Amino acid sequence: MIGPRSWIFTTVVRFAFFIINVFAFYLFLRGHNAPGGGFIAGLASAAAMILLSLALGVEALHRLIRVDPVRIAATGLLTAMLSGAAPMIFRHSFLTQFNWHLHGVPVFGELHVGTPLVFDLGVYLVVIGITCKIIFVLAKSTQGLPGLVAEEERRYSSPLESPIESEAGASASSPALGGHQSGVGGEGSVPAEPKEARDAD
Amino acid sequence: MNLLIAIFLPLLGAAILPALGRRLGPRTGWVAVAFALVSFLGVAMLIPTAHASRTFAWPWVPSLGLSLVFLADGLAVFFGLVVSGMGVLIMFYGAFYLDGHYRDHGRFYSYLLLFMSAMLGTVFAGHLLLLFIFWELTGIASFLLIGFNHDKAESREGARMALLITSLTGLVMLAGVVLLGQLGGTMNLAELLANPPRDATGFMNLILLLVVIGAFGKSAQFPFQFWLPNAMAAPTPVSAYLHSATMVKLGVFLCGRLFPVFQQCDWWMPLLAIVAFGTMLLGAVLAFLAVDLKAILAYSTVSQLGLLIGYYGMAPAEGVDFDYLHILNHVFYKGSLFMVAGIVDHAVGTRDIREIGGLWKRAPLLGVIMLIGCAAMAGLPGTTGFVSKEYLLKEVFTQFPAHEYLGWFALGCIVLTSLIKIAFSARLFHGVFFGPVTDVVKRHYHAPSFGLLLPPLLLAAASVVFGCHPQLLGQLLATFEVNGLHNRAHGELHLWHGITRELLTSTALVVAGLALYAFIYRWRANDHSIPRALRFDLAFARGLELFGKFTKLVTRGLRSDAPMDYLPVLISFLILVVGGTLVRTLGPALLDGVWTAPDPLRAMIAGLIVLAVVAVIVLRGWITQLVCLSVAGFLISFYYVLYRAPDLALTQLLVETVTLILVLLLLSRFPRSAEQGEWSQPFSAARRGLNVALSLGVGALMFALVLVFTREEPASRVGELVLEQTLPLAAGANAVNTTLVDFRGLDTLGEIAVLLITALGCLGLLMRRKRTREEYLSGPKGPAGFGIEHEDGEDELSSQNRGAEVRRSVPPHARLQGGTSVVGQASRLSGEASACHAPLDRRDARPTTRLGLAARILSALTPRTRNQPEGRP
Repeated sequence: MIGPRSWIFTTVVRFAFFIINVFAFYLFLRGHNAPGGGFIAGLASAAAMILLSLALGVEALHRLIRVDPVRIAATGLLTAMLSGAAPMIFRHSFLTQFNWHLHGVPVFGELHVGTPLVFDLGVYLVVIGITCKIIFVLAKSTQGLPGLVAEEERRYSSPLESPIESEAGASASSPALGGHQSGVGGEGSVPAEPKEARDAD
Repeated sequence: MNLLIAIFLPLLGAAILPALGRRLGPRTGWVAVAFALVSFLGVAMLIPTAHASRTFAWPWVPSLGLSLVFLADGLAVFFGLVVSGMGVLIMFYGAFYLDGHYRDHGRFYSYLLLFMSAMLGTVFAGHLLLLFIFWELTGIASFLLIGFNHDKAESREGARMALLITSLTGLVMLAGVVLLGQLGGTMNLAELLANPPRDATGFMNLILLLVVIGAFGKSAQFPFQFWLPNAMAAPTPVSAYLHSATMVKLGVFLCGRLFPVFQQCDWWMPLLAIVAFGTMLLGAVLAFLAVDLKAILAYSTVSQLGLLIGYYGMAPAEGVDFDYLHILNHVFYKGSLFMVAGIVDHAVGTRDIREIGGLWKRAPLLGVIMLIGCAAMAGLPGTTGFVSKEYLLKEVFTQFPAHEYLGWFALGCIVLTSLIKIAFSARLFHGVFFGPVTDVVKRHYHAPSFGLLLPPLLLAAASVVFGCHPQLLGQLLATFEVNGLHNRAHGELHLWHGITRELLTSTALVVAGLALYAFIYRWRANDHSIPRALRFDLAFARGLELFGKFTKLVTRGLRSDAPMDYLPVLISFLILVVGGTLVRTLGPALLDGVWTAPDPLRAMIAGLIVLAVVAVIVLRGWITQLVCLSVAGFLISFYYVLYRAPDLALTQLLVETVTLILVLLLLSRFPRSAEQGEWSQPFSAARRGLNVALSLGVGALMFALVLVFTREEPASRVGELVLEQTLPLAAGANAVNTTLVDFRGLDTLGEIAVLLITALGCLGLLMRRKRTREEYLSGPKGPAGFGIEHEDGEDELSSQNRGAEVRRSVPPHARLQGGTSVVGQASRLSGEASACHAPLDRRDARPTTRLGLAARILSALTPRTRNQPEGRP
């Protein structure tokens, strides 16, 4: 939580979060025919997340959103790629978009659906994921909390012990590589000596 | 269809084996054997149609003319059988060889299957570019396999050397291949081989040189021969498969494949004969001098490959006679010898021939296998080696003298090499199995299982069977002959030709070779090593080192650690070049149209923006300046509204909001003392003058650019086209969005990919911190706030509480460092990249690769907190 706790702010943000997200979704859906679209919707949602983190604190937000935002972003990229690659199965070229106009839909009457929406969804997820992750890390460190936990740190850290250039010369062996092979994520101490790690199977 | 299965099924296996390997462990080898067997059967089903040279084509990139074309003629099927057959044997061997001492069986067999797939793709490729792609893929698979035990330095260096040499020569080959395609008008191999391009000028010679360099690199000929012995750091199944039987034969295969195209070149015979036969002699000498079992075999492989390539070189225009015989003979004996070397290494624990001896009594079956292998290598009767040598000598004596100097050179090389080969074959066999039983053997020997002995036994048996009945072999091999490469009128293979010149020569050579070995043995001249002059690999390593030093020198000379040092260079370049060009081309016409009457609304907004920017310069306090800058940003979105671009306005607003919050968060981590300039050196007056001049220059440049661009007509009408077509083509009324998602969807895809990569890079950079080995071993650490709390997190806060100076944005329980430690921080900071001002020490003694501003400043200024529990939801 940044700043003194303000009840007005907290309560208003709870509502505002919902409203902003609905608005973001609205922007997302109308993007094809009116101002809006994936990027804008993503930024609006991200702004809502930031507001919530300012009001409730990043910890609460992490409890709300259990999944790592970078995974959301990766899912978005995958969605976009797949929506582009799917037409290739049917012998069209990459990123061919299809639009259909449906008549006689029960509630809406006429409905316009198309694959650009899936692509835009991918863009939306990427923008949300990236923005949230960066804001969370910085917000947490601003509040003096660890920005990334141990598992995340291992996931994002480079296995190199020594920097690429060093006058003293790189260290001869990197035990980290042995450790990385035998267990990905969630292990205790990372660098196991190669001899110990040999019986991985 | 079965060709596709044969080539790509191992690839599928390579994809699934790593996951399987974790569950199956050493039994993964059997799954791999199954895949290899299916592949072998797929290739074998092509034998009946091999003489018809069928082509299979699937379109891939039609605009480049690149399709998946596979040519299944005799040469391809022969090599395909060799590759897949050896693959089955090797995986079978590996299933026994890689016992519990190894880890990552899944990965190993996955790489082996990948290699097999790539190799099959290369030999069956019907398009030159496809050949190149698979060629490089075999190089990559070889790299992965050589470096399999990557915790050993020699594996890493051997892998790196192999990859560098084969890739660099592969690139040279690509140049040759592309030129050949241009000259011949097509890259399709079937068409090229049917109508080889004729060239009167010497251009074909150049193409030949380029392509053949690639072949020499892959087959370890001079001057690239040093990577093969260094590749012996790989596990033995890999050495037996890649570096004796299959991958290194790619150079031979290439020469055979492109024989009809290049045979008429003037340089073909001299180039191949001199280099290949020279390497043959060199390899034999080196094999004689080496002491490591695998090194001996590696050098003898180099030598034999020289023979095979030279054989193609000296071939007459009608075609070669018995190349398959020589190739297959080499596969038989070298494969089995390598496997035996692996078994000996496995059983005894060392590969140094000086430390092994007297194994005959303990492993007689192994001894018999090695005897047959060495006999085939030496060319003793009863093995395919003898048949091969007889026919080789026959050709040498009849055909080579016709080529004068070249012929006599080749003849001399072959005779000398045979002599030395006999000597080192005898040395190999005698040294390992006879002689006094050494201590090493006594201490470490444990008998190999029969399963381990089976594959080399099969190969040796094949060598003997075909050696005694060469007619069988001749008939089998005749089905694989290819027009243009093979001279079909060569007659059958016989064992006994009578007392001919060849027989007398080979007998004399055998006697002389054994005498040479006996002489060496008698005089105990066993302590020899390869002279330094011939150690090309040391020269190569030294060359790489020097190259690294040179690049460091250049980089350090040109680079500085502070980002602020680059900005003046960039900006002045921009101003001088772009501004100068504008002024020079337009001259006084630049300022036309400045003095029109401004629209009042726009003028007011412009005035407000100017006011906001002036406020940034004039006011003090980071937050105030930042807010003013954001005000300017928000006002720009007003312009977008005025120009009727609602999408842009929305985006601008939202981006401005998010960025403002981001930078506010960053700034709130700085203590007030940083803001007041206690942490950095101010600029000198001259530098400040330069900064002002550059800023004014950029402003003027932008002014001029906007004037010029709004005046001229745009060059392309893409915007209008998009506006017209957005409803008909893209079924959407919002042209901005349809451009992003539909018309320019690929750009957007690239952008979000870059976004994700950047985010991962930033997170990785946040984690990247130069740590000593002890720090690393003690667990993941980072500056507090970006990683786990330090174990020894002392509470520096209580004594140095700044009290009322605590910034509002930081909660009360997290204090900042006060007083005395600021000095410490300042000295640390001044040694590194400074945010806004010139650093004290330009030439940092330990140059870093970190991002300048955010990560380092933040890590230096992180508030230290009490031990907080690791908060992970």
